[in-house]
Amino acid sequence: MSLAHARAAADWLLRSWRRLGAALLALAAAGGVAIVLFAWSGLYSVAASSGHWALVELFLRFGMESSVRTHAPALTPPDLRDDSLIRLGAGHFHAGCAFCHGSPGTPVGAAALKMLPPPPALDARLSEWTDQQLFWIVRHGIKYTGMPAWPAQGRDDEVWALVAFLRRLPSLDAASYAALALGEIEPRPETARQIVSGEDRVETIEACARCHGLEAGPRSRLVPVLHGQPRQMLETALHAYRRRERDSGIMQVAAAELDDKAVRDLAAFYARLPPPAAPPPPAAPDAEAIARGAVLAAQGDPGRQIPACLNCHGGAGLPAYPRLSGQPARYLSGQLAAWRAGLNARTPGGTVMAAIARRLTGQQAADAAAYFASLPLPPAQEARR
Amino acid sequence: MRLPVAISALLALAACTDRQSVMAAHGPEAGRVALLAGIVFAGAAVIMLVVMAALWVALRGSESQRAALAGETAIRIGGIAFPAITLSVLLGYGLWLMRDSLADAPPALRIEVTGEQWWWRLRYRGGDGAAFAEANEIRIPVGAEVEFELRSADVIHSFWVPSLGGKLDMIPGRTNRLRLRAERAGVYRGQCAEYCGGPHALMALEIIAMPQAEFAAWLTAGRRPAPAPAGQAERRGAELFLAAGCGGCHAIRGTAAEGAIGPDLSRVGGRRFLAAATIPAGRENLARFIAHGQDLKPGNLMPPFRLLAPAELDALAAYLVSLR
Repeated sequence: MSLAHARAAADWLLRSWRRLGAALLALAAAGGVAIVLFAWSGLYSVAASSGHWALVELFLRFGMESSVRTHAPALTPPDLRDDSLIRLGAGHFHAGCAFCHGSPGTPVGAAALKMLPPPPALDARLSEWTDQQLFWIVRHGIKYTGMPAWPAQGRDDEVWALVAFLRRLPSLDAASYAALALGEIEPRPETARQIVSGEDRVETIEACARCHGLEAGPRSRLVPVLHGQPRQMLETALHAYRRRERDSGIMQVAAAELDDKAVRDLAAFYARLPPPAAPPPPAAPDAEAIARGAVLAAQGDPGRQIPACLNCHGGAGLPAYPRLSGQPARYLSGQLAAWRAGLNARTPGGTVMAAIARRLTGQQAADAAAYFASLPLPPAQEARR
Repeated sequence: MRLPVAISALLALAACTDRQSVMAAHGPEAGRVALLAGIVFAGAAVIMLVVMAALWVALRGSESQRAALAGETAIRIGGIAFPAITLSVLLGYGLWLMRDSLADAPPALRIEVTGEQWWWRLRYRGGDGAAFAEANEIRIPVGAEVEFELRSADVIHSFWVPSLGGKLDMIPGRTNRLRLRAERAGVYRGQCAEYCGGPHALMALEIIAMPQAEFAAWLTAGRRPAPAPAGQAERRGAELFLAAGCGGCHAIRGTAAEGAIGPDLSRVGGRRFLAAATIPAGRENLARFIAHGQDLKPGNLMPPFRLLAPAELDALAAYLVSLR
């Protein structure tokens, strides 16, 4: 009897499209209300400790992998075997990624392992992704997993550096990882004593020296030589990175932990360093580019309304301005490219340079970089203590 | 209803100063323009009255009057002969009036004026071949015929000082020549009269007509190096000017600052206005313009130097004000 009733009711519903549509709408609304009520009740546990059901886990992974595959850009990567790119990526990996993903010789930490999903130890998983997919993951992060996006959107050159390092990572052991990511830093007995006594900021200096070097200078040509730069410029730059006003994912992460005193000490430390003993030679110096760059640096290009670089960046410029002589050409080109792409334009100094850099042609930017790279580094700003 | 109309009519009176007005001619060129304009206005008024009268006849006139107005003779006279003769006479008279503008006797003074986005680059050439740069404030001797060589560095601008003469476009790749004479000393304001992008409305200029002797002294002084900074703030400002890189775009005669991208600042302290007659000159406004120029004149070529501390800005401004 009740079956007959139900059949009659279904019959009545199906006989009209309008009635059917209304019934489906009502069902959807009821479902929505039920979902909200369920969330409101708090019966679902968001505990990371309980993990996911195996089926849910499979489904989530399937969805994530499909999304990365669909969204990964069809970009041509730069040469990912480039040593400068790998070293830059290595320094940032150690500062920004190793805590969750572990590093060769250091497994994923106990705290990070209890995240849900737990961050994968990378060496096993990396081969599953193409370069472009890795690029997309590093640049954009992954929702609901704790994987953050790149701090400075737009600095794709930095993202590629990390991808280059990730490609190298599987072949590294603890020693070769340390050589790549820590540079010339080695814990020394007197260093440890200074840390304990707290009389110097050796620890933070080591964080910088991983990439920027101490006696030997940076070993990646994508990293500036800070030795002998004006103290005020270094301080201003670090504050800008701390406030995330200057666009570099790598430096924003590195500067985030600094307090005012650390910034002062670091700036003073590098300002007083003499030029590194053996700075990396410019890659294949191009005499014609250097000659064109020399003219641009000394005279500017009035036709394009570009003032001479040396008016600000020579030895007599304000201490708020960086000295460019001796900087690696690739670092200079990268910075100019960032300005020409509209980045780095929010700080007081960046506003000035952005206006000028936008007037440079690509050729002029390369020439200027080649010229300054061919000059000797500036001497230490003040006598060393 | 009447009050708003009266108020808006009063607002129009604000334009009735004679610093920038076609109605207040202070030179022969502007006088000719005003005379021609007067004749055209008076003639147009008479024609207007005749047309009104014809309209009245067409509506209210007797049958024979209306027939005459509708006839072919009226159309031949009023529609063909009258406009052809009137316009021909006006054209001839206009050309005859302009004969002085095209005179080829050498002028007393030549000044190169180059329109740039959004200011006026000036170059004075003396008889002895020596030349010097100025910007935005044109000084001329009273009563002398001055030839302006008008050029453009980027887009079309138009040079117009209404109280002294008609407007003339500045066209990229061309040199247009305009002769003006101021009959009495004073300040005449001009304006870029062709939309040239961005802050076109903030591209104005002033012509200052000076007595001959004063002008000669000013011209001679223009070839000398800028005065050395005297006070402490001025000396600090002079150092900052070079260290901050100002010399990359601006020149100050007799110093290492030789930039030719922006206005020459050798005598910026003597000017009445800054940024092409945008804001009044003075120490405070100079400091404001250096740090916040993009707020005062959005789109101008100079990046804002917010990186300078207030004391540094003040020292720079003190130095610039001392340059006269």
